[in-house]
Amino acid sequence: MDREAIVRALEAALTDVLERPVTGLRGEVRLFDDLHLDSTTMLEMLMALENSIGLTVDPEELDADDFESVDTFTDFVQAALRDQVPA
Amino acid sequence: MTSPPVLLHDLLDRAAERAPDSTALSTTGASLTYREFARASTRMAGLLHEQGVRAGDRVVVSAADGLGTAVLVYAVSRLGAVFSVLHEEVRGGPLEHVLRDCEPVLLVSDDTGAGRTAADHGVAFRLLADLLQGALGAGPSAPAAPGNPGTLSVDPVCLIYTSGTTALPKAVVSTHQQVLFAASAIHACLGYRADDVVYCPLPLSFDYGLYQLHLAALSGARLHLGTAAEAGPPLLSHLERTRATVLPGVPSIADRLAWLVRRSPGALRNLRLLTNTGAALSEGTMSALRQALPHLRIQVMYGLTECKRAAIMPPDGDLEHPGSCGYPLPGTRIEVIDDEGRRLPAGEIGQIVVRGPHVMAGYWRRPELNAERFPRAEGLFPELRTGDYGWLDDEGFLYFSGRRDDLYKERGFRISATEVEAAAHRVEGVTSAAVLPPAGRRGAVLFVVGDGIGADAVREAMRQHIEPFKIPRRCVLTDALPTNGNGKVDRKKLAALSESADHPTLSAK
Repeated sequence: MDREAIVRALEAALTDVLERPVTGLRGEVRLFDDLHLDSTTMLEMLMALENSIGLTVDPEELDADDFESVDTFTDFVQAALRDQVPA
Repeated sequence: MTSPPVLLHDLLDRAAERAPDSTALSTTGASLTYREFARASTRMAGLLHEQGVRAGDRVVVSAADGLGTAVLVYAVSRLGAVFSVLHEEVRGGPLEHVLRDCEPVLLVSDDTGAGRTAADHGVAFRLLADLLQGALGAGPSAPAAPGNPGTLSVDPVCLIYTSGTTALPKAVVSTHQQVLFAASAIHACLGYRADDVVYCPLPLSFDYGLYQLHLAALSGARLHLGTAAEAGPPLLSHLERTRATVLPGVPSIADRLAWLVRRSPGALRNLRLLTNTGAALSEGTMSALRQALPHLRIQVMYGLTECKRAAIMPPDGDLEHPGSCGYPLPGTRIEVIDDEGRRLPAGEIGQIVVRGPHVMAGYWRRPELNAERFPRAEGLFPELRTGDYGWLDDEGFLYFSGRRDDLYKERGFRISATEVEAAAHRVEGVTSAAVLPPAGRRGAVLFVVGDGIGADAVREAMRQHIEPFKIPRRCVLTDALPTNGNGKVDRKKLAALSESADHPTLSAK
């Protein structure tokens, strides 16, 4: 999955979680400070991505740095999808 | 033999005497032993004294750095002054309210923007990082700690701002002996051990987060302060990395943990205790956690800042007393009274009243509110009228029914919306539920979001969980419950929804 597609999926997930339209996300946008996500909405975002693009997370590998910005989170999703064994 | 602690910082000094080289505090990037922690707080007391902080003065801190804040808390106690820890996001109007309300001599923060607010109000400002650097001995040597300021155990040490029924937050004032009693009584129930690692995902501005400092000092445990980001999706990995044994939580944290452990079977072998405060834990979350973590014990609790903690359930006691939030703290009493102030027998719902040495001094400069919430029985004996409603069973276990505004009367019965909603939640196929209390000629209405279940079937199934007279006569199925900015159900919008649902074309649903 390319980065562009991941960011679109992220926008859809955030639109769902935050109940307001989220579009045109740029890489440097910070999830906590700019989008005002909190620890609960962060998890809801993961749940939404689990449903939409089949992301499976390993809770033991999650790192706070991955949730810093749209860029770092996209890196994380890309790596997670790559490591995922296709079902 | 050492004498028992009399002032708050005695807790830290006793811990440093007992186990100076044990780790007291840690964060992802730093840690302090008990000796280092005690020494840093003494040096910071010197710096604050040099800054002009004296006994009785207020010092407000609002910073993301938990470790620095912890050092400051005990430093302020050493001076006989009073600290107030605010959430790092309290800025602008809310910060100005606090500065006007408690008139601090000093505001400490990481944020220079907060410094400008302080300057506008004639309050001195220091960066926490600078104070901490001086306290840890990295900078020029700190001034000598001032001599004993003569602080008494009945002097104030802490202000905690809380919102509630008042328009603006008000501060609950605690004396040294009140904090020490509350912390010791909680410790007697939770039994943290010297080899525990307590992972605190709560900010120190939240009173249960702040008390983790005192509980750790009482037991000699290591307290790990997690950031808000770490307590999100990475919560499980951080619990693993820190080898956490105890997790003080609130429902959102327990819900998150239940989601994470389902995806990581075999994790968290070290975690032995989860405590819960803030609101009731859902039965679904508790059973999911118990299934995934068979060695985990859960202790549910009930309390409010005005007495810190009122009741704690023994470990896993919720299995024997489902729905209860525990037993009064040792050395304290809980009573239930009616609207005229008469004591009610077991089984009857009324206002929860708390008595004991943990009942705090009262609200800062709010005499009318103090007369209402901290009245004196016989004009002499302090008690706390919590404004919460509930009942006691024959064994003295407390059951929380809701806030006053959650309660309504219908057909002569006092009914708790919280209780009705919980019963609806237990019905299979119901994902969320909210009650609109009666108003005027309209009776109570139950709103339900469900998955393939009809309104009548919900009402019928609820009979297994609560008395039939408590079940609202009208039940409306809806796609989603309207919420306000805080994520709570918006009752005004519910009322509007109820009117539109009265329309014939919609009520057919």
